[in-house]
Amino acid sequence: MTPLLDVQDVVRTFGAVRAVDGASFAVEERSITGLIGPNGAGKSTLFATIAGSLKPDSGRIVFAGARIDGRAAYRVARAGVVRTYQAARVLTRMTVLDNLLLASTGHPGERLTGVLLRPRAASAHERRTLERAHEMLALVRLEAHTHEYAGTLSGGQRKLLDLARVLMLEPSLVLFDEPMAGVSPALRVELLEHILAVRRDRKITFLIVEHDLDFVMQAADRVVVMNEGRVIVVGTPEEARTNEEVVDAYLGKAH
Amino acid sequence: MSILSSGSFWAFVGVVAGIYTILALGLQVQFGFAGLLNFGQVAFMAIGAYTMAILVVKEGWSTWLAAPLAVVAAAAGGLFLGLFSLRLRADYFAIVTIAFSEIVRYVATNETSLTGGSQGTIALGPIGTASQYNGQWSRFEGRVQHAFGFSSSDATMLAIVWTVAVVLLALTWLAMRTPWGRVLRAIRDDEDAAASLGKNTFAYKLQALALGAALAGIAGLFYAWEFSFFSPDDFQPLLTFFAWMILLLGGLGRVWAVPVGATVFGFIFAGTRFLNFAPFTWFASDQRAYLRLIIVGLIILLLVLVRPQGLLGNKREMVLE
Repeated sequence: MTPLLDVQDVVRTFGAVRAVDGASFAVEERSITGLIGPNGAGKSTLFATIAGSLKPDSGRIVFAGARIDGRAAYRVARAGVVRTYQAARVLTRMTVLDNLLLASTGHPGERLTGVLLRPRAASAHERRTLERAHEMLALVRLEAHTHEYAGTLSGGQRKLLDLARVLMLEPSLVLFDEPMAGVSPALRVELLEHILAVRRDRKITFLIVEHDLDFVMQAADRVVVMNEGRVIVVGTPEEARTNEEVVDAYLGKAH
Repeated sequence: MSILSSGSFWAFVGVVAGIYTILALGLQVQFGFAGLLNFGQVAFMAIGAYTMAILVVKEGWSTWLAAPLAVVAAAAGGLFLGLFSLRLRADYFAIVTIAFSEIVRYVATNETSLTGGSQGTIALGPIGTASQYNGQWSRFEGRVQHAFGFSSSDATMLAIVWTVAVVLLALTWLAMRTPWGRVLRAIRDDEDAAASLGKNTFAYKLQALALGAALAGIAGLFYAWEFSFFSPDDFQPLLTFFAWMILLLGGLGRVWAVPVGATVFGFIFAGTRFLNFAPFTWFASDQRAYLRLIIVGLIILLLVLVRPQGLLGNKREMVLE
């Protein structure tokens, strides 16, 4: 089976720093793949490169059989690869509901020509989007905050809103940047349940950057370990945990 | 003080406030909704006014054809500016816009054969003739005055400008409530996040810039018709900053805050026009002209200190992160 995402020899430099230095790995469809590695390993740069916010210097990124490297971020998102940010980038000065309503693709009402020439199609689409938004709010249990500014939510609630917003887009692949960072222990369990349920029910694939190794070991089917811009190990969580090179990367050679 | 009690003076203040409303509404679309730091708004006003006057005087066009085309020209100016500069970071974009507006003013000053140069629109036609572009407009104004029984041409102009302003305000208000307007607000809040939701943020910013420029073009038309004459000096960067003051006074991201801000600003500006009482009489009249700007600045500073969110703004939106 061909993988959903295939990262081939991707290099991205910042001046003299080779942040990503020939990274290659594949993400299988419907898997939860953890991308781990010590600070400065190049995970975030690689993430931004897959999502289209950074262009790779060389290498190929193939998603569902088509190259997406070099495409603008919004086109990568439309193709079905949706990213989140480490600190959830909710739109703070808009309501929770508006945050969700924004997450719809091909909305005729989002084009001036659509507003003017196809008002019926626009309002029909808006109605469907509204229905789905309320569904999502129920799913992540944020209904009580529907009409509040997203800026009033706690860090953990913002992660939930971000997850709901990503699911609204019906992506094939979610790039999840440190979902557990800054989330309270109670919400961690909830967030993990959501991710597992979503994978099961909606056939969504996850690529997750995470520092919380316990979470990765619990949630991921496969783990990709990066160090100094390169992928050093790809395997099951168990294989990664016991791999000599991984232990070296995390603890230093002299552990 | 007699002029301050004359109706036609206050009608004039009201007309100018209406023109400023339309100018600042454009800025509200660009900055208040889409987050674009445009410091060159006056350029689009100049493009609108000059396009209309040139087409009428030099090409003999009807005012009713020249005016819409002038608005299109202003919007095209916005597209042109945006295509080349909207990919810049916000602060660099701001610098480019102010440079753009000065370039437009300098071109208007120096391209004498096209614009009449520093002498203004009176020199648009052949040498030795005093050109007029607003014959058709004056006849229209006269008909409106007659039809509605307005007491003076000042009152007529007041009614026309504010009718147009209210229609434009209502259209903008409606546009901002559409999903399209929602995307604009999202871009203002966090452009990267909007892009990661699949929005082509560049296209939206370009549209906001062009629409705001079109509004400035309409303001330019009324400016031209109200004064029957204009020159490049009328389009100093100061006018753009008047529009910014109106925005700060009224409140950001609120359509109906614009006419409130413009009216308050208009009255402060007009009320300080004749400082012919002590202690201002201690100064020479040319000094008083500058004193006036200082006083206007101080009043606005005080208002913004007391109500940082503007008269109609939402204070909570300012503190959310």
